[in-house]
Amino acid sequence: MAKEMMLSGCAASAQAARMAQVEVICSYPIRPYTAIMMELAKMVANGELDAEFVHGEGEHAQLSVVLGAAAAGARALTGSSGVGVTYAFETYSPIAGGRIPLQMMIADRALDPPGDFGSEHTDAMSCRDQGWLMGWAENPQEAFDNCLINYRVGEDHRVLLPQFVCQDGYFVSHIPGKVALPDQSQVDEFLPPYDLPHPLDPKRPVSHGPQIRPDQGTVMDLQRAQAMLDTPAVIKEAIDDFNRIFGRNYSPFVEEYMTDDAEIAFFIMGAHTMTARHAVKHLRDQGVKIGLVKLRFVRPWPTQEVAEALSKFKAVGVVETSTSYGGAMRGGNLLHEVRASLYELPQRPVTTSFMAGLGGEMVSLKDFYYMADILSKAVKDGKTRKTVYWVGFEAEE
Amino acid sequence: MFNIPKGKEVPLGCVTPAPVTEQPMMMTGNWREYRPVLEPEKCDLCMNCVVFCPDACFQLDEAEEKVVLNEKYCKGCNICINECATDALTAAYELDFEDGVVRLEKPF
Amino acid sequence: MASKVHQITVWARGVVQDKEGRDIANGLANAAEKDGKFTQAFDNYVDLPDRVNVPLRKYARISDEEIEERYEYENEKPEIVIVADATIVKGINILRGMEKGGTLVVATDRKPEDILKFIPNRDLLNTIVCVDAKAICGEQTVDFSGSEGGVDSLGIGQGISAPILGALARGTNLVKLDNLAAVVKNQEALRKGHEQAVVKTLN
Repeated sequence: MAKEMMLSGCAASAQAARMAQVEVICSYPIRPYTAIMMELAKMVANGELDAEFVHGEGEHAQLSVVLGAAAAGARALTGSSGVGVTYAFETYSPIAGGRIPLQMMIADRALDPPGDFGSEHTDAMSCRDQGWLMGWAENPQEAFDNCLINYRVGEDHRVLLPQFVCQDGYFVSHIPGKVALPDQSQVDEFLPPYDLPHPLDPKRPVSHGPQIRPDQGTVMDLQRAQAMLDTPAVIKEAIDDFNRIFGRNYSPFVEEYMTDDAEIAFFIMGAHTMTARHAVKHLRDQGVKIGLVKLRFVRPWPTQEVAEALSKFKAVGVVETSTSYGGAMRGGNLLHEVRASLYELPQRPVTTSFMAGLGGEMVSLKDFYYMADILSKAVKDGKTRKTVYWVGFEAEE
Repeated sequence: MFNIPKGKEVPLGCVTPAPVTEQPMMMTGNWREYRPVLEPEKCDLCMNCVVFCPDACFQLDEAEEKVVLNEKYCKGCNICINECATDALTAAYELDFEDGVVRLEKPF
Repeated sequence: MASKVHQITVWARGVVQDKEGRDIANGLANAAEKDGKFTQAFDNYVDLPDRVNVPLRKYARISDEEIEERYEYENEKPEIVIVADATIVKGINILRGMEKGGTLVVATDRKPEDILKFIPNRDLLNTIVCVDAKAICGEQTVDFSGSEGGVDSLGIGQGISAPILGALARGTNLVKLDNLAAVVKNQEALRKGHEQAVVKTLN
């Protein structure tokens, strides 16, 4: 049965990769994800994990190596942070378009300039359009669970897409939290062996990635589009199985907290969700009708589920830890997708973006109270003064 | 317009002034446990300490004909003691001296 | 309102005392957990990257209830400051942010008065504890195990962290010697540190 340990997100992710019995790992150091590779290297060195451990010469090399390994029929794992993620950018489309379901663990780090180890979601978010699955962990337990869930969903023949399994650098990756480690038999029941339908195999020779004509281009893209349409059903199945086998209680796409009679809500993902829950509880104790909706998957974006969850509120604050300079709202990324999800509803809540935690800045309980204040005023006024608030950097409301 | 709180300002593009002779934003004197102490009578001005110090903490005072240690930055690596041709430099525990270290509020 | 979070800051020298410093923070947090407390123990992320001999910090927090603001990078108001290398007291305001009545633990062979003369704001202190950790234990483990958010495979308290933790138990009620004995490897050094520590109460 489950063994409970205090593990950091990095250590938990490494344990999950070990239990998923990954076969090829390609590493390259960059803080904060680097401890994942440190732990896996120890496991391979002392025989706990039977895998090929390859040192890449850079992040682009990392992705290229695991692409080759996964295309040849091995369950492959790599990872990176910050500018490492963007250094490998060229490889993301070939991997997704080639339908190679490898996994990349991202421990977020702010992008340069200059050098900042703090967590910001922009590194992974910049890659969201390529056709990879993407989702964030709130704590080390979720970092562990998401690795297994993503392998299961990504490798399913109805999906066959690579996965970004993301966690906030330092907040989740370095600070220990309780993790229940399952038995290997439970993992084996949940996660079938790697089985790629189109591997590089001398007995059945194939070519990966030849040249096509422009009029075949749309058809190529449609394949990924169709896969993304089919993925939500696979996610629901996987989560149901996961809950049953491991005794968890995950909801596939959005999780609600104290939303029953709430008028306002935070829409949030990642590490700061934990602090937000405490803030919601304290505000409820003071009589504020507030709730919280947590997002588990950014890709595929759960349009229906987000619309249903948020439709019951009068004002929603989208807490963003990523940037989209020059975007329609001049703020982050999530607000665009939230508003698009709500567009068809006959009655829409007021939606506002709160830029918080950028660069790894801590988001305190006071910051959440500030946000809740603005949302409460929005219920009365029917709108907010601004669409995007940079928390801590605004003049007095 | 955004309201940047005091103490959180960052120059444009994070371009910072470069040090010319000293970097007062990074004083590393508090890194050392042992400092090199010079016995001038033994020194023959071979300049090994000046050349080998990774932080360029020894300077030749031409008027006094002596090498002088910059205590603000010496990290106590002891390379100079190792390289001294005449054993004129010895290591002394930092707490044996009242001063010689700039006391910082925060590490950086 | 959540209950008080007791903050403990450990100062150590980079790379050469990285493991021992982490052991002090982890050791006291694990010991407090055995008393049913809620704890956090983590490296100072802001001080990274680690360099040989740079003054660095490790943090621990102890509370009777769940610690709600887990992501504060630094301990702004340390109640207890532990210094694993005595020369650090000279070059940094280690008591910064401490409220009156705090405790200082220093690993040194000098007397408390000889350490206090380097600390201009010593009137913040109620107690100072000095322990000659190097004489008791001789070595400090220099290893990267457990750094960067990884898992420590060597165990807590093989080197100078053990007597320092023993001395800490003389200077505060937040951690008890018996609980420390359950988490620390070098039992002998732990007890010797506890016995040989010199405790001085000020004002």
